[in-house]
Amino acid sequence: MKINKEELIEKLRELSSKGYNYLVKITAVDYIDHLEVIYFIRNMQNKKEENVRLDLKNGESLPTVLEIYKAADYYERELSEMFGIAIEGREVKRLLLEKWDGLEAPLRKSFQWGSEYKSG
Amino acid sequence: MLIGSVEKLIIEVIAVFILIVFFDYIFGWLERKTIAKAQLRHGPTYLGKFGILQNLADILKLLTKENVIPKNADKLIFSTAPLLLLALFIFLVYLLPFPNGLGIDISIGLLAVFVLLSFSPLLIFLTGAASGNKFSLISAQRSVIMSLAYEIPLILSAAAVALYAGSFNIANIVYSQAKIPFIALMPIGFFVFFIAMLAELERPPFDLREADSELIAGWLVDVGAPYYAMALFVDYTRMFLGSLLISLLFLGGWLGPYLPGLIWLLIKVFVVAVVIVIIRATTVRMRLDRLMRFGWFWLLPLAVLNIIFTFMLFVK
Amino acid sequence: MLTRINVGPIHPSTHGVLRLVVTLDGDTIVDVEPHIGFLHRGVEKLAENRMYMQNEGYMEKIDYVAPMAYSDLYVAALEEAMGIHPSERAKYVRLILLEFQRIASHLLWLGTFCNDLGLMFTMFTWTLKDRDLILNLLQDVTGSRMFYVNMRLGGVSIDLPPNFEEHANKLLDYLEKRFKEYEAFLEKNPVFIERTKGVGVLKREDAIALGVTGPVLRASGVNFDVRKDYAYYAYEKLHFIPQIQTKGDSFARYKVRMQEMKESIKLIRNALKLMPEGDALGMPIKLISPPVKESEVIVRRELPRGEGMIFMVTDKQRPYRLSLRTPAFINLSALKQIAKGASYADLFSILGSLDLVMADVDR
Repeated sequence: MKINKEELIEKLRELSSKGYNYLVKITAVDYIDHLEVIYFIRNMQNKKEENVRLDLKNGESLPTVLEIYKAADYYERELSEMFGIAIEGREVKRLLLEKWDGLEAPLRKSFQWGSEYKSG
Repeated sequence: MLIGSVEKLIIEVIAVFILIVFFDYIFGWLERKTIAKAQLRHGPTYLGKFGILQNLADILKLLTKENVIPKNADKLIFSTAPLLLLALFIFLVYLLPFPNGLGIDISIGLLAVFVLLSFSPLLIFLTGAASGNKFSLISAQRSVIMSLAYEIPLILSAAAVALYAGSFNIANIVYSQAKIPFIALMPIGFFVFFIAMLAELERPPFDLREADSELIAGWLVDVGAPYYAMALFVDYTRMFLGSLLISLLFLGGWLGPYLPGLIWLLIKVFVVAVVIVIIRATTVRMRLDRLMRFGWFWLLPLAVLNIIFTFMLFVK
Repeated sequence: MLTRINVGPIHPSTHGVLRLVVTLDGDTIVDVEPHIGFLHRGVEKLAENRMYMQNEGYMEKIDYVAPMAYSDLYVAALEEAMGIHPSERAKYVRLILLEFQRIASHLLWLGTFCNDLGLMFTMFTWTLKDRDLILNLLQDVTGSRMFYVNMRLGGVSIDLPPNFEEHANKLLDYLEKRFKEYEAFLEKNPVFIERTKGVGVLKREDAIALGVTGPVLRASGVNFDVRKDYAYYAYEKLHFIPQIQTKGDSFARYKVRMQEMKESIKLIRNALKLMPEGDALGMPIKLISPPVKESEVIVRRELPRGEGMIFMVTDKQRPYRLSLRTPAFINLSALKQIAKGASYADLFSILGSLDLVMADVDR
């Protein structure tokens, strides 16, 4: 289902109270002028899965869902360093990349191969 | 067995030293081969027939390497403590009586051995603490803690033996086993002594100081190459000492039909050592707190019971 | 007094490159902070610049212990995107090979787990010998012992050789005997039991909240297995039963994997009996792939370590975005919560029971 960024937290809270309490993955796709962030959540009782999508404009930040799903910690950290999305509400540290300050986020389409060797 | 003239003394000293070196070497080879066979491997096969020259090559290689002392280490203690440890164990072997004219006869042999044996945790701790490395310190602490728990049952079961034989002289203890070895008279005592000796020798399953997956090589992490060769020597000499003590105190020493005493003694020492190696290949290492509980709550009461039984049954 | 210990990226035990900064209070763990990323090769970005069939090699290198499972995951995603269905026989062939791969992966895990507990390589060499026999069998089928690249669109690259069934049955009998020996050795060993029972307990609600997957999840009492709930290939016909334990400690995780190995043996036997005749070959690898019909694909598989998922946004010749959900990544993130309050010596028992492969974590 497609929602707006403002409805994210309440929608996830509503779903989690209905039994969708297992977070499978948070992922994002870079459609050059905007990003689409997808949350895959699953209900462990009836084994149904639901994906919640929202569009982020470039430079927008994403609210954290750590209070609702504890599993979101690593996924949000990876998302923020791979796509350059800022996470509002908590401090995220780098997970997979080293010495990457000031360089372009790697999974965006505008990332040039070899640009990590300049400056930084 | 009595100290004769000076030449005899020198011959005896050299003979026992050769015995120690021979045992350490053969034992190192045997251990590598046995563990390899237990793990479906071959072990050393290339140098010499059956790989018997492998340990010689390893020691020679280690002795020719540069000795590196870490910056944070206390130079004096770090350089001398391992040497003192080796000297201590070799000296302890000399304190034990050997048949056929080798070895010294001391009337307080058993006491002397155990008093000097308790220096070894101290020296190990000094080596570990002096290397300036957090891991060595932790491992050295573990060694000391372990020896706290296990020396008391060790000494108590040896004391039961001395109580029965009525003397601290190890030669007399061996002779009083002429009719029946002590392993049959006090099986509990043998069991306690064997296990406490394993802990004292820091052999698996008590090899905390060498907990490979946790602390790498323990207090040996930062010693330089020549000292590492010496540490191998220390390990096997310690095992020789332990097996000798077990054979002398419980298995009847050099008493036995047909063969000369020395051969019997060596056979018994060899059998004990093979059992220790097989235990190494097949057990899981215990956690420190379980080890301590085992020592205090199982071995110590058993050792005390052993002394009480010996006293009531045999010493009128 | 808090001390910080660095369990460095290079270990004596075979975990791979994982750096843990452990904060200790005496002997109790207060905090564990994993530092990962030593093996990050950017597979997701690489996949965007390669054509579809070129990516299969990359997918295999994500897990070097059970490579076939990942290549199967990826090829299944491609098949769904292109609307190709594998034939009946191909489904059974894939199932048999995947279950052998699962046994091989769990055998390696068993060896390294015992290594961590201090068994000093004896168990490791024995389980590696068994794994070697399985790899020899897989070599007869696919031609290589590691990194098979044998999954093709619609089937496999080479069909099973004619005497496969008797070889496989002989190997399965041998493995059954060996598993009995391993169980008898480990489960009656008081030291093993003491180092794993009650260590690293993960309760059911925590397991679901933390998002762990695979044997770790099933050891905490959650009945979820992709082979049962989102069944694929022939698992429904073969009456697959997921193995569940309820305690959630290291021993439960060990037991789940042990039972899974035995269950795999049963599955392979049944599959060999029920396998239909036919053609299991898939399309040969060509750079220009068949036309793509779907624009977004979601595929799930039960990998030996847990549940793996691919979410792929497709383009004409190459993936526009390949998003991988790997099990070891999220299992590692649960380490912090599980290890809190445990003693330092238990850290390795917990770490070993999570079954991490660092290439899985870092991709």
